[in-house]
Amino acid sequence: MAEQAARLGGVKFEGVSKRFVSPIGETMTALRDVNLEIQPGQFCAIVGPTGCGKSTTLTMAAGLDRPSEGRVSVSGQPVNGITKGASFMFQQDALLPWKSIVANVALGPTFNKVPQKDALDAARDWLRTVGLAGFESHYPHQLSGGMRKRASLAAALINKPSMLLMDEPFSALDVQTRAIMSNELLSLWDKTKPSVLFVTHDLEEAIGLADKVVVITAGPGTVKAVFDIDLPRPRGPLQEIRFEPRFLELHHQIWEALRDEVQRTYARQSVPTPAGKAKP
Amino acid sequence: MSEVNAATAAQSPALSWRQKVLFGQVAVFVIWMAVWQILAGLELIDPFISASPWSVVVRLADWFVNGTALGSFWYQVLVTLGEAAGGFVLGVIAGVFLGILLGQIDYLADVLNPYIKFFNAVPRIVLGSIFVMWLGLGLPAKAFLAAVLVFFVVFFNAFQGARSVDPNLVANIRILGGSRMDVVRNVVLPSALTWIIASLHVALGLAIVGAIVGEILGAQHGLGLLIKFSQNNFDSPGVYGCMFVIGAIVLSVEAVMARVEKRLLKWQKPKSSTSAQDA
Repeated sequence: MAEQAARLGGVKFEGVSKRFVSPIGETMTALRDVNLEIQPGQFCAIVGPTGCGKSTTLTMAAGLDRPSEGRVSVSGQPVNGITKGASFMFQQDALLPWKSIVANVALGPTFNKVPQKDALDAARDWLRTVGLAGFESHYPHQLSGGMRKRASLAAALINKPSMLLMDEPFSALDVQTRAIMSNELLSLWDKTKPSVLFVTHDLEEAIGLADKVVVITAGPGTVKAVFDIDLPRPRGPLQEIRFEPRFLELHHQIWEALRDEVQRTYARQSVPTPAGKAKP
Repeated sequence: MSEVNAATAAQSPALSWRQKVLFGQVAVFVIWMAVWQILAGLELIDPFISASPWSVVVRLADWFVNGTALGSFWYQVLVTLGEAAGGFVLGVIAGVFLGILLGQIDYLADVLNPYIKFFNAVPRIVLGSIFVMWLGLGLPAKAFLAAVLVFFVVFFNAFQGARSVDPNLVANIRILGGSRMDVVRNVVLPSALTWIIASLHVALGLAIVGAIVGEILGAQHGLGLLIKFSQNNFDSPGVYGCMFVIGAIVLSVEAVMARVEKRLLKWQKPKSSTSAQDA
């Protein structure tokens, strides 16, 4: 079982491009020739400027989108339909507002033909794990943003995914809650070790969490650079490790790569480039 | 319906908000009736045409006790209610089913689009005549007319509801391993439900309209026929009496519906309510 889990969940992008046709018929290239490999059990953060197509990598890995060119494979299988063994955490939580928290978390097992009672028992266990015991019968709107994230995390992990896709999952949270959620995500990830694709625009979050940080260029996005994060695990609270020399060094290196892309996007969006900020 | 002024109610401990509202509602009714009665009594309005509250009460009492020209008054009420209820159920089921179906299958929606618009444009009263010709003077013709009226309102709302589903929720269900049916059951139906329920209030009134109009076009029993009969006999208290009875019935059904609605939508944040989109 442990062996299988270690083998499953690897992700591979080979020459992947993705074009969208806008409603007025214009073709927009979101991703161009992306080559990327994530080992099973590896935590990979994807950073890049707004609108560079980083979220599209996730939807393609999940099988929600097809590449226009190239190949995406997960666990050694080309993605063809919804990827098995994947879980997704969205920026806005995808809890069903009309179902109680426990029923929401139990959805995954229910769809996979687990008997209702077992599914609910498993959901209660997971809610305890993420610290939501006692809130089982609440509806999502009755919980705070942080608690909804915990519930989403439980709903995503209950299926024991071999690949966890996260699209700026904590960006809507306040700074303190976000730090707490990051730490909890790491400890939960450590238990089952799915491979993780974590899209974020927050470089500190990326370095603090990941084994590998991928910098995507301004749209159309392609891989600009890949950095291995050799900070030892367990990492401990993000608030503390971000002052360590190695963290700062990595932050500096990756920011060097990211800065140009951010500025390019910024220059494109706001016509008058602020003096002194434009790169020659 | 909403507790907008809950704060105001909290400030005055003597009367709760609901009591105040009820008091106001009764007051409006009393003033309305009094003004009507006085105007008719002083013959400022023609009592022959506009009747008076008292004459309506007398007429209704007479009908209840001695029955109408068409037979027992209760029977007329039951006939109309049966037609309206049958049409309501039929129209809602068809509207929800087709609305969700077309909301899910773009191809079908695009193909059927002109036909739905065409039938929606046909004046319903014409359909009433057609149904009476096809189905005769009994219950089915009226139920069908009521169903058609109900159908379009519910259909357009269900369709819109099914279309305005949050794509993230759908994506999440699919990734978690849900089938297409799981998506419909867990996401599409519940999120369309807010829209559908909003349409049911309008649909309820239309079901009654369908039944009454159907009866006026051709029937052997029912409140619509009673209205027509009273009108032909220049019995204005009779016409108003039927009107009040119909109004009272709709009010009580509305009350039941409000309870069901509260129950079905108990997951919603209090206060926000979706408005009906009339077709």
